[in-house]
Amino acid sequence: MPGCNRRSFVGLCAAMLVAPVVLRAAEPIRLGLTPVFLDNDAEVIARLKAALGQGTGRPIELVQRRTYQEVTGLLLEGGADAAWLCGYPYLQHEQALALLGVPVWRGQPLYRSYLITGTDDPAAALADLRGGSHAFSDPDSNSGWLVTASDLARMGERPETFFTRTLFTYGHRNVVRAVAGGLMRSGSVDGYVWEALAAVEPGLTARTRVIARSEPLGFPPFVTRRASADSEAASLLRQALLTLADTAEGRAALDLLQLDGVIAGEGALFDGIRARMRDVQGV
Amino acid sequence: MGFRGLPLSLRVPLIAAGLMVLVGVVASQQVMAALGKVQQERLRELARLHVDGLAVALGPSVLRRDVWEVYDTLDRATAAMAGQRMILTVVADETGRVIAASDPQRAPVDSALDPLLPTAQAVDDLQLAGDARHVRVLADLAYQGRRVGQILSELDVADLVAERRRALALLLAGNALATLALATGGYLAMRRMLRPVSVLSSHMAATEGTPQAISPASIPTGDTELARLFLTYNAMTGAAGAAAEAERRLAERERFVSLGRLSSSLAHEINNPLGGLLNATDTIRAYADRPEVVRDAAALVDRGLRHLRDVARVTLEQNRLDRHGIALAPEDFDDLRLLFAPEALRLGQTLDWQVQAAPDVLAAWPSAPVRQIALNLLLNAATAAGPGGALAFAARAADDGLHLTIADSGPGLSPQAQARLLTDGPVPPGGGVGLRLVRDLVAGIGGRIDYARDAERSGIHVLLPAGAAPC
Repeated sequence: MPGCNRRSFVGLCAAMLVAPVVLRAAEPIRLGLTPVFLDNDAEVIARLKAALGQGTGRPIELVQRRTYQEVTGLLLEGGADAAWLCGYPYLQHEQALALLGVPVWRGQPLYRSYLITGTDDPAAALADLRGGSHAFSDPDSNSGWLVTASDLARMGERPETFFTRTLFTYGHRNVVRAVAGGLMRSGSVDGYVWEALAAVEPGLTARTRVIARSEPLGFPPFVTRRASADSEAASLLRQALLTLADTAEGRAALDLLQLDGVIAGEGALFDGIRARMRDVQGV
Repeated sequence: MGFRGLPLSLRVPLIAAGLMVLVGVVASQQVMAALGKVQQERLRELARLHVDGLAVALGPSVLRRDVWEVYDTLDRATAAMAGQRMILTVVADETGRVIAASDPQRAPVDSALDPLLPTAQAVDDLQLAGDARHVRVLADLAYQGRRVGQILSELDVADLVAERRRALALLLAGNALATLALATGGYLAMRRMLRPVSVLSSHMAATEGTPQAISPASIPTGDTELARLFLTYNAMTGAAGAAAEAERRLAERERFVSLGRLSSSLAHEINNPLGGLLNATDTIRAYADRPEVVRDAAALVDRGLRHLRDVARVTLEQNRLDRHGIALAPEDFDDLRLLFAPEALRLGQTLDWQVQAAPDVLAAWPSAPVRQIALNLLLNAATAAGPGGALAFAARAADDGLHLTIADSGPGLSPQAQARLLTDGPVPPGGGVGLRLVRDLVAGIGGRIDYARDAERSGIHVLLPAGAAPC
């Protein structure tokens, strides 16, 4: 081969050995998202993407879907490497999913579900809302459906008969909008989202009133497939999540999300949700 | 004073101003109608775009009866169009049940759309109604070629209404100013154009007795019609003045005319005594030595001379130029009789003469006109009665005035003579002015003339109220 010498041959061989590693390193890590947090804030998405990209050293592809069901399905079938899910779908697929980390909000990896009404509504508890209309967030949402459904189950009621009309808005912020705008009399909403909205959109939450708060429950976790829990992507992402608070990019993202950080967490955090699932299934 | 009572120089500009106002109102009406049409088309286009846009976005959600999606779309559309035209949009299914509204408080989910329908209009028939700030438009919501629901939107048209009000206010102000300016200009122009007419009018209005000619400086130059009018007026005033002067002179001469008519009688009255006087002087010369004869002759001469003196006096009295201010007295009637009796005697007429009035009563009337009135009527009666006729004169002072009655056995006053005596109409040609002078004198004293005719005699009765004219 003309012009071919030993040096160029060695170089070519080295390039052939290194190339898969470089290609592998360039593959993005796909993280599934739902409207569990502020779905209308593009800056939050961009900050999170940048922080995780920096933490993992890999490009991050955020895959957004409208429902928990879609994101869960995406994760289970391998369309995403990990996802930020609600505790309820995590528990529904506990056998197939593994925790990567649990966000810490106000010092604890816990949050509550809020039952809200319009400010002028006289209702003081769930029982007062009988015969009204109610907005849920998502049928696979703990705070946006399971908590109220389980509370009703404990009362021997079912949402579709206790309320005259229910609807799913597929977003906690949308639940607040539906109640604040008077479309629905009451709603079940993620307490963390309601409080975050109260800070950034006080005009919206001011038109609602929290009439009931659930007990503290496990915060929506980052999960991956149990089968690929030890993959490089999962490991990089776990590491990046757990050290998010240690980097400037990470802190910026956490500040926007009004979170303190992410901890490893464990299954027992979600026992409260697990109990509510049993209550609902028992009806 | 009505509009017709206004002067021409005010009426014409007012009519011009009125026409300007009318033109302004019609023009404003046209502009407002055009503006309304443009606004209506704009509103329909906006409504059509609004409804069509929403229909495209909402079609699938309405088909699924997805309350949240419909509300979410409407809510985001409302937020995106904040401060714009959309106030409320309600989406209902094909049965008229509300799926969702941009303001759920006004149209709750599952409520009926009916309460909002009465004032709703179809897009193609959309109209701005009066000063209403909102309009409602109703349209079918079609998806995949079939009607799946209805959209009712309440639109804010306050800006269009305000724009129309503003345009109306500007039009009114502009038209008012333009009308005022044009009306003022028209008024001034008309006043200037009609000033010569005002001059003519003022000259005619100021005319009392004799019309006054307009000075040549006031005759408009360049306006041949008005100049001809002025010259015609001036010519007319000249003619009127000449006629009045002629009448005055005629009246002046009438006194001499009446005396002239008496001159032959008066000549006899002077001539008859002269023969006796001359005989008396011959007698005195022939019988100068006979005292008793001379005495008788002298007495005869004295009587004759006294008679001549009386005749001369009454003649002079009748011709006195200035009798103004002299009051009537019984002697005036004696003078009249002295003047007229020879004429009646000459014509062989009988004269019945009756005067019933005390001197102090008669002093209430002026002498000269009463003498002239009575003399002219007596002469007229003597002419009418003819030779051998019968005449009667009566003067009587009563509470209501001095009554003069002159009657004759003649055939009566001709229509021409009656026109001269009893009316102010033009004097027919071919007669004297004696009777018209009587009428003028009686009118000057404020009196009245009546004429009566029976089978045998004509009577003219004159009533002169007391104190009506200065003595």
